[in-house]
Amino acid sequence: MDRNRTHRNRKRLFRLLHLLAVFLTMSVICIPGLWIVLNSFRPTVEIMAKPPVWTPSFTLEHYRAMFGGAGEGGVPVFDYFRNSLIVSVTSTVIAILIGMSGGYAFARYRFRGKSGYFVGLMLFRAVPGVALSLPLFIVFARVGIIDTHFGLILAYVAMNVPFTIWLTDGFFRQIPKELHEAAEIDGCTRWQAFWKVEFPVARSGVASAAIFAFLTSWNEFALASQLTRSVGSKTMPVGLLDFTAEFTINWGGMCALAVLMIVPALILTFIVQKHLIAGLTFGGVKG
Amino acid sequence: MTEVNLANVTKDYGSVRAVHGIDLGIGDGEFVVLVGPSGCGKSTTLRMIAGLESISGGEITIGGRLVNDLPPRERNISMVFQNYALYPHMTVRENLGFSLRIAKADAAAIRTAVRDAADILGLNELLDRKPAELSGGQRQRVAMGRAIVRHPDVFLFDEPLSNLDAKLRTQMRVEIKKLHQRVGNTIIYVTHDQVEAMTLADRIVLMRDGHIVQVGTPLDLFNAPVSTFVATFIGSPPMNLIDGTATDDDTIRLANGLVVPVPASARGLLQAEQKVQFGFRADNLMPAGHAVQEDGEMAELDLTVTLTEPLGTETLLFTDVAGTEVQAKMLNPRPVRPGETLKFHLMLDKCHVFDAISSQAIRS
Amino acid sequence: MTRRRLPEWFVLLLPAIVVIAAVVLIPLIFSLYSSFTPYKLTRPSTLWRWVGTYNYEKILTDAKFWAAFGRTVLFLTVVLNLELLLGLGIALLMNRVTWGQRTLRTILMFPMMFSPILVGFQFKFIFNDNIGLVNNVLQSLGSDAALPWLVDGRLAMFSIMFAEIWMSTSVFAILILAGLFAMPRDPLEAAKVDGCTPWQTFRHITLPFLMPFIYIAMTIRSLDVARAYDIVQIMTGGGPARRTELLWTLMSRTGYVDARMGLANAMGYVSILLSILFTIYFFRKLSAARAEIGMAG
Repeated sequence: MDRNRTHRNRKRLFRLLHLLAVFLTMSVICIPGLWIVLNSFRPTVEIMAKPPVWTPSFTLEHYRAMFGGAGEGGVPVFDYFRNSLIVSVTSTVIAILIGMSGGYAFARYRFRGKSGYFVGLMLFRAVPGVALSLPLFIVFARVGIIDTHFGLILAYVAMNVPFTIWLTDGFFRQIPKELHEAAEIDGCTRWQAFWKVEFPVARSGVASAAIFAFLTSWNEFALASQLTRSVGSKTMPVGLLDFTAEFTINWGGMCALAVLMIVPALILTFIVQKHLIAGLTFGGVKG
Repeated sequence: MTEVNLANVTKDYGSVRAVHGIDLGIGDGEFVVLVGPSGCGKSTTLRMIAGLESISGGEITIGGRLVNDLPPRERNISMVFQNYALYPHMTVRENLGFSLRIAKADAAAIRTAVRDAADILGLNELLDRKPAELSGGQRQRVAMGRAIVRHPDVFLFDEPLSNLDAKLRTQMRVEIKKLHQRVGNTIIYVTHDQVEAMTLADRIVLMRDGHIVQVGTPLDLFNAPVSTFVATFIGSPPMNLIDGTATDDDTIRLANGLVVPVPASARGLLQAEQKVQFGFRADNLMPAGHAVQEDGEMAELDLTVTLTEPLGTETLLFTDVAGTEVQAKMLNPRPVRPGETLKFHLMLDKCHVFDAISSQAIRS
Repeated sequence: MTRRRLPEWFVLLLPAIVVIAAVVLIPLIFSLYSSFTPYKLTRPSTLWRWVGTYNYEKILTDAKFWAAFGRTVLFLTVVLNLELLLGLGIALLMNRVTWGQRTLRTILMFPMMFSPILVGFQFKFIFNDNIGLVNNVLQSLGSDAALPWLVDGRLAMFSIMFAEIWMSTSVFAILILAGLFAMPRDPLEAAKVDGCTPWQTFRHITLPFLMPFIYIAMTIRSLDVARAYDIVQIMTGGGPARRTELLWTLMSRTGYVDARMGLANAMGYVSILLSILFTIYFFRKLSAARAEIGMAG
């Protein structure tokens, strides 16, 4: 009887500790982001207040300033948002087309040195953005595509292709090869079999690869900060720095822009989370 | 008229030869089953006929037309896959109509063809479901429906029943046979299950290690196996084989000294002291009083039963002949205890003799 | 039809190879060349002067470079190990959660999706010695000193590591959690019946099964280690007084601020080699672990 009771009590204690640990983990993950969101709605005076004010008041001042054109500190948020969108969407579409074709090759064909090719491609992804930005800066300047959407798109396509290959390879490999064989017997060419059968089946996987590529471009800073200079091509991560002057930082404005950056990312993540995990693990585990 | 002909067809994977020069003629409307243990090249052969594997050597013709380098879509064949390979993003209706849509048939024709196929296979209730919502047997039926929709010249089946449970398998076997009687197309069917081969085939092609071992009707293979491999592969339980030595007076001396006469079919073909294997099926070793009454030569043996497997209409008796475990069959069974000794009749006319070295049958 | 056609797989891979060659390989070859010149952005003619391994000799004898290099390796070691341990812990926690697991898992993924620059900014704000959340809380709890989080060298390094770990632990947690979900129940139950303690079960059954997932996470992470540049750049810019200088910030300063491209590219090559070594190491570990639990194929 006694042993049973101690075991029962220990179980209860464990459950309590577990709950506490989960709560703490979630707090650490959530609080920084929430703090940014909260502060984007607080007046600057309150953010800067000493001693700190713990009962927040509410204002849209930063958002109004941000969207009000020249606004706070004259940061052209709209232009940055537009640049980010153009660059991210275009580079994603191209990277997906190229990456999907590569991923399909890895998933469906046997050839010599396959894993060599695969690791080789991945290694190019491992080249640090900063290290790449130096020569790219010089080459792009020579070719004359520095500070253009095109240049940045090109760089992001190259950056996203390897990882897209990794993901789509995994998704295509999950599709039994009999499916395209059945389609070929049903009268399809290989090309038709891909677009009518394999692609629709892998659609959700490809979509999550696309969103991953989109987010990488959307969030990228090291390359963008060197390859763009003007309002016409700067993306939001680079624009974030506009809020920092030599000694002062416009915290409220920065928070508002941060929210503008993170909201699309979070929504997209929410949509694809399930497929994304499946793609990452499948591609890797069954390599 | 759709004959399928294979002439000296080979398949190499790198330096490994998977299929060694297969010669096979399949007549119009014939139901041919390729059977053999896994890795015998039967699936590879089927996939070469389908055009899913390239052909390393030889020629394949379908309906008199050389198809060696034609892609699958130009061979007018259809295929049922082991895992069905239904298109998961399409409904049953779309799955059935897919091949016609690809062929740009008009909508009315597709509708009629799909309805006909659905009628034949009893799929009418399921037309708007996705494959994921179907049971194994239903998926199997859809796969077959997809194959018959566009009236191909040849049906190819690649182990279509191996993912079903035993009961459903028996049921689908009957349906496949009915389907063949109804549409009458040429069917080439691959399986590793000899029961499927026996029950379905007009002709069985038994393969091993990339070679054809024996071609013939199910009864040919059952009654006149060309080797011990065929004898043990076809039929359940497998044929009993006992080592022995031929003597010069038309008898065979089994391992423990027991002497049996040489069956009539092999008489005069054995040399003295030739090492042989003496084979007979369980159906031909029966306890006295529980056997079919037959004329012909008969040997009597007193054997001790070691294990029994009652099956209802008959009981399998495990016993020991000349140091080898053999199975016998008891009709109209009565309970038998292990350890009981019974008098058995061995029907010599139905026995076989194989050469012990080459494993080939010795038969006139 | 005498012309030999390219194999299909190669045609499919070709666009990827071309793009990567054009945008990554060629610039890298160029930068390899320029790392043997005294190239300065302001004086283009310097590109044509060959100085051999001068730049490499220079950085290899430069104490500042070695300090940054050592700090980078230390930073990566500490950060990756902590991320792994925390990720494993979080995954085990989440695996036992019985309610709202999907929601929690989604929340868990959010930091992965934050731009590194945003993470840097976020923690620059939170660790601000004057108006930051941390100091505000500490002060409200009665501590009188404002800790100089981003000004003191050690505290700044801690803050940067914290930001990096906050951002990247999710990768481990999520992938290890996926591994836990994929884990077959039977061996666990067999171990329980055989009398293993929870720790023994974890050590001998769960952990070996999770290894490939851990290496996938490591591989994915190793592709991205240089993202720490963004965080450091915005939080401290390598300061104060170079106390948080990593290889990448040093390189970018040398290249863009001092305009000494040749020298910066030489450093770039060191950092590229570092990243590639990490990646290859984990790729090999990954295939080894895969073979061990029989998942290869």
